[in-house]
Amino acid sequence: MALVTRRFSVPARLGLALLLFFALDALAFRTGWYVSILEPNSTAGFLRTYLNIEKQRPIGRYRQVLAVGDSRMGLKTRVANLVTGNTGCEFGTIAVPGTTPRCWYYMLREVDPRCDRYDAILVPFDSYDDRAWERHADRDLDLNYLMPLLRVTDLPRFVLSYPSWTNRGRAAEAVLLKGLVYQNDFQAFLASPRTRLQFVRLQEEHAREWYYDAAWDRRSLAGMSVDWNAKTVTLPVWLPPEKRRETEHILLEDTKPISADYTSYRRQWLGAILDRYRGTRTRFIFLRLPRGPVVRPDLPPPDPNSMACQFASAGRAILLPEHTFDSLERPELFGDALHLNEEGGYEFSMMLAGEIGRLLAPAQGAR
Amino acid sequence: MLFHTPQFFAFFVVVLVLFYALPRPARRWILLAASYFFYMCWNAKFVLLIVALTAIDYTAAMWMRRLPAGSKRKAALVMSLAANLGFLGFFKYYNFLAGNLAWVMARPFDAFALHIILPMGISFHTFQSMSYVIDVYRGEQEVITNVVDYALYIAFFPQLVAGPIVRARHFFADLYDWRAPDAREILRGTLLVVFGLLKKLAIADQFARIADVFFRDPAAHPGYLAAWSGVIAFSIQIFFDFSGYTDMAIGLAQILGFHFPENFRRPYLARSITEFWRRWHISLSTWLRDYLYIPLGGNRHGRWQTYRNLMLTMLLGGLWHGASWNFVIWGGYHGALLSLERILGIRERQRWSIFDPLRVALTFALASISWIFFRAATLRDSVYILRRLCSGAHGHILWLHWQLWFVLAALVLAVLEESYGWFERLPEAPAWVYASAIAVCLFCLELIGFSGRAVPFVYFQF
Repeated sequence: MALVTRRFSVPARLGLALLLFFALDALAFRTGWYVSILEPNSTAGFLRTYLNIEKQRPIGRYRQVLAVGDSRMGLKTRVANLVTGNTGCEFGTIAVPGTTPRCWYYMLREVDPRCDRYDAILVPFDSYDDRAWERHADRDLDLNYLMPLLRVTDLPRFVLSYPSWTNRGRAAEAVLLKGLVYQNDFQAFLASPRTRLQFVRLQEEHAREWYYDAAWDRRSLAGMSVDWNAKTVTLPVWLPPEKRRETEHILLEDTKPISADYTSYRRQWLGAILDRYRGTRTRFIFLRLPRGPVVRPDLPPPDPNSMACQFASAGRAILLPEHTFDSLERPELFGDALHLNEEGGYEFSMMLAGEIGRLLAPAQGAR
Repeated sequence: MLFHTPQFFAFFVVVLVLFYALPRPARRWILLAASYFFYMCWNAKFVLLIVALTAIDYTAAMWMRRLPAGSKRKAALVMSLAANLGFLGFFKYYNFLAGNLAWVMARPFDAFALHIILPMGISFHTFQSMSYVIDVYRGEQEVITNVVDYALYIAFFPQLVAGPIVRARHFFADLYDWRAPDAREILRGTLLVVFGLLKKLAIADQFARIADVFFRDPAAHPGYLAAWSGVIAFSIQIFFDFSGYTDMAIGLAQILGFHFPENFRRPYLARSITEFWRRWHISLSTWLRDYLYIPLGGNRHGRWQTYRNLMLTMLLGGLWHGASWNFVIWGGYHGALLSLERILGIRERQRWSIFDPLRVALTFALASISWIFFRAATLRDSVYILRRLCSGAHGHILWLHWQLWFVLAALVLAVLEESYGWFERLPEAPAWVYASAIAVCLFCLELIGFSGRAVPFVYFQF
């Protein structure tokens, strides 16, 4: 087989073809052009909007505090920033529903590329213990969030962070072949480009008020009760049946087991976040969120060897006492089994702002 | 293992490496083993059927070699044809005949039915086998004495399951005078594989979604615009699906040093149905011409015999595709159109005239109508859709705008290929032109290639 002749060189032509293909892919999807017109309601589009809001937030003269987290992170920055004068802290958030520490690593890299923007970063925990049912390391939903944030250089770390070969394959696709992962979004864009562009423009104009300053559910679980012996829950009548089933399930499910997988996952990704900020002025504050509208009576004692405790004892993070927000674990402050309602969010934000202000005040003065 | 799956490409790379790494005498063994493995990935048991047919036809040809012309030689031919048609008839047509018999006897439709799995590619490899035996009988083909060579001819994996139907003389000319493909041939083969993938994944599978939605429930999409767009979506799907497969088969074979005949030549640019059949599934239409139409008398015995022969050939061609009345009607429809064009004296012309675009559009519409019988689940559905094509309400087009633009781009490329033959020039074009073409194809595949569950090729069912 003569691959190279005087006139033709097969390897050169095919190599050039691959090079051009990756150049086209990069031109369309790595320059930020396509990411700017992603469907705002898609997972990746939603994340991009959130990150953009934070990136565009002007940095004031106060200490900058950023919250990461998922939908349980009850910080309402609008509320926390009402008392900036007292706390000396200005709060931002990139807490996006459904995200996990792996996502937070890449999200932080996006909003704070030089690791010099924040005085403190708040990392929320459901529990300091490494308790989980789910196998977080193999969570494929992370891919949907992270598509726009991944770079070619992320290939080994990101791909190998997935234990299963199926998800490693998908992760490699997300890193290398951007067009492939945006395929559905791109085809939807082609179906009605004008509508998409209008929606994106509208989103850019109003995203802050839609997401950032939005009011949360004002209803509460006030009046609910749990009979832990009979394993029955009485819930307020306004809860729709699906939400009712979900709330009952969450409240009554067995305590999550300590998971070695989860310990290792937290070590990897929280460790990576902390490593990235090593030697910077940014301090990491771990906090346990209010656990729910009611707290089950048979909770096991806290595990002193959890990853969060290990990071704290190594001096890499500050651990807020785990009972700091216990007073907020009341039905009237929750909209469902997991999430604070508007009032709960207000109370939590005020408390958190005060705690963080106190914590940071002796260490650093206002800039 | 479908051509457009990562598993197939991994398989092909292994075959390619072994093929070129091993000494020449071992290469046919590698190809035969790979071909049987390829088939066994679908269903291991049915490889025995291929082996059995191979043994029968090989033996029949060897007998013919020893026998002088006469009744014994003819008996060997008949035995071989009976075996091929017997297997084909049983696997493909038994349930069709049993269902019709049950209908005649006023019994439930499945009264005599058997649970039969149709062996993949049986229609293709039996026709290939039969052409060899007939050619040997006619003295137009030398008998192949090496059973491995003959087995490879029948089972060669690039064309095993959906053609093109390769004539023995072409295949053995390549096998016995095999020479390594040069750089130009490898570049052409690679281009064909990439084009084939693009046709299949980016166009055929996109339009398959539209066609599936329409044909699954035609009544849910009222109006003639919906009906025409659904029907044309299938016309596009079947062409790009089958020609995409064929391009890949030809390209893969070329990389291995084998040359398959052209199977499609831009059929939707045909100006008549006669011309359409010179451009569509060429390896089948020439097979039907050489082994059915001409032996029936062709056009040598007057007008009416010619029309009869055309009808018979196309009816059997229809039945070859599948065992249902829909396929019989499809074949009959084409036979009738071919006869009508003869009656009207429509002849193929080399030069294009100003009215030819209209003729192309008319031929495309006529071909599209025929695909209704091909795709609809039942005869009743076919008739319903036909009526809907000319219903009063207009409804709405089922396509998205960008799909229309994509097809128009493909049409422009086809017209340019017809006029300038750019495709054959591409491997010889400057490196950056060739590389850009491949890169653009890959980029389109990345963006538009259907990346859900692999959709099987339409012609695999035949």
